[in-house]
Amino acid sequence: MLDTNDAFDANGAPGTDSAPSADLPALACESVTMRFGGLTAVDGFNLRVPKGALYGLIGPNGAGKTTVFNIVSGVLRPSAGAVKLFGVDVTGLSPDRIARSGIARTFQNIRLFRNLTVLDNVLVGLHLRREANLAQAMLALPRHRAEETQMAATAAQLLEEIGLAGVSHYRASALPYGRQRRLEIARALATKPAVLLLDEPAAGMNPAETEDLMRLITDIRNRFSLTILLIEHEMKVVMGICERMTVLDHGDTIAEGTPDEIQRNDRVIKAYLGGGAVARA
Amino acid sequence: MAEQRAVHPLLKIAVVCGALILFFLVLSWGQEHWDAYTVRILNLCGIYIGITLGLNLCNGFTGQFSLGIAGFMAVGAYTTALLTMSPAVKQAVFFIQPLIYPLNSIQWGFLPALLMAAVVSGIVGFLVGAPAIRFRGDYLAITTLGFAEIIRIVFTNIVPITNGALGLKGIPPHTNLLWSWGFALVCIAVMVRLMRTTYGRALKAIRDDEVAAEAMGVNLFFHKNLAFVMSAMMAGVGGGLLGNLITTIDPNMFRFPLTFTVLMMAVLGGLGSITGTVISAAAVTIAMEAFRALEEPRVILGLAIPGVPGMRMVVFSVALMIVILFYPKGFMGDREFSLDRVKRLAAGLDRTNTSKQG
Ligand SMILES: Nc1ncnc2c1ncn2[C@@H]1O[C@H](COP(=O)(O)OP(=O)(O)O)[C@@H](O)[C@H]1O
Ligand SMILES: [Mg+2]
Repeated sequence: MLDTNDAFDANGAPGTDSAPSADLPALACESVTMRFGGLTAVDGFNLRVPKGALYGLIGPNGAGKTTVFNIVSGVLRPSAGAVKLFGVDVTGLSPDRIARSGIARTFQNIRLFRNLTVLDNVLVGLHLRREANLAQAMLALPRHRAEETQMAATAAQLLEEIGLAGVSHYRASALPYGRQRRLEIARALATKPAVLLLDEPAAGMNPAETEDLMRLITDIRNRFSLTILLIEHEMKVVMGICERMTVLDHGDTIAEGTPDEIQRNDRVIKAYLGGGAVARA
Repeated sequence: MAEQRAVHPLLKIAVVCGALILFFLVLSWGQEHWDAYTVRILNLCGIYIGITLGLNLCNGFTGQFSLGIAGFMAVGAYTTALLTMSPAVKQAVFFIQPLIYPLNSIQWGFLPALLMAAVVSGIVGFLVGAPAIRFRGDYLAITTLGFAEIIRIVFTNIVPITNGALGLKGIPPHTNLLWSWGFALVCIAVMVRLMRTTYGRALKAIRDDEVAAEAMGVNLFFHKNLAFVMSAMMAGVGGGLLGNLITTIDPNMFRFPLTFTVLMMAVLGGLGSITGTVISAAAVTIAMEAFRALEEPRVILGLAIPGVPGMRMVVFSVALMIVILFYPKGFMGDREFSLDRVKRLAAGLDRTNTSKQG
């Protein structure tokens, strides 16, 4: 575990890449297949997200997008195939190990720590980078106290940057929907990821909120030098901000390319018109 | 916050130490001067505060609904009793089958015996917890309930160690107010400290959403076991104190009603509140003794009412249902009672129109 961690740190830190890792994708899926009983939710899925990219994963509802996220984040173990982070195989690692390796995610159905404050939600995201062990923490040794102060400051700063500074002492469940989605992003950023997975972050938002959010996403990508993989079922939303995207339909990859290429792709148009996604959107 | 004058940390420590010394002086005076009944109830209060805090750590703060607390109490009670009884008493008690070597020939002091109880019940806690932690919700409850029952049956049957169904008699009455309230205070301190660390936050995160906690890098195996083992250790030491208070123990003491009692204390006070637990554990302990009268035969208005054993529990169960109806999260929910809170409330009353963070 330790040595893989080191490998990620070495690759994940900008500017320290050695020659061979320079063209390694930040995140790659190689022939990933997921079967649930008789249903093949994802079939032979391939993905190469270059470092620093803002990459879209789109497709109608039920296409298998969230399943891909669950595999990448370790919630599900794929029936076949491999997931690689900067070339290192992370397939089948537990979610907490994957988080420690540098992949963070948000959830399509918001999953905040409802009874904790906004600040504490972000602090939980910082837990995995802790230095003090349990005994040091319990005894409140100076080292731990300095770390707790540091963590609180980091969390407060993150909330500031995400635009939640004013509500840091509210219970998470008391926030309006749009702010809960932002809090999920802040919490994920707290884990200091190299790759951030966002599962329909704009779901349930009005057009103005959506536009705000998309600005935030491009913004954090630059500020935190992240690689972002963004799920969206409504194509319009991501066309403007993603450099490249992959389109899923019924578990199959039907297209891959730039927004322009995707918009002109016959199979994509057919999937979206035929799949009833337009009606839903 | 800024205008609030900071109390010097040394002054704070001095005040806390002074209060502790005073508290224990009062207790040691009371041990000699209060009547035996009062002392016994106060002892039980201290013991149950500690045990209930342990249960709350696992069931409340971490959200792992375990029903094995009586099993851990049994492990602690037998460990402490066997280590503190004198060889002569052991020989007299174990008249069916002699106690095995080396237990039959050793006698430890109370403190090392209690520490050993913590270690043994902690190990048992890990052995039960490590596999059980894969289960969630109802399954964890059933598995841990089964474990407690297994402990009871094993203890009934390993006669050369536990003396079987006859139990142990003549356990030295080491437990006094200093021990029981010392235990309570240690448990309170441990809980308060733990909940102020990043580890405590991680436990609460698991309670609120296990999937999200794991996705944020919280190692479920480590953190759930942490709660499970610490909870078992507190129950074990509490069981040891209980055994050396009432001086006789047998396997049937540690059946489900005991777990139920502790659970009730935690639920009434609020799963997830330290202060709620302390108040509720003390209140229920006192009420349990006070309601003993309900189980005795008596004559009211010329009517002879026979004593009904277990009547107290009926009263308590009804009371529990009523409380849950009106306070679904117990009296304190997951909030704490603290001076800061009182200050904040008072400040809030002063200027009702200011922001949330007064
Ligand atoms: N854990 C699971 N067990 C069984 N079927 C699942 C599971 N997760 C997803 N599915 C199925 O896989 C398909 C793809 O789902 P999902 O990945 O959630 O789609 P999307 O996120 O693209 O809307 C759906 O038919 C869904 O019912
Ligand atoms: Mg989905």
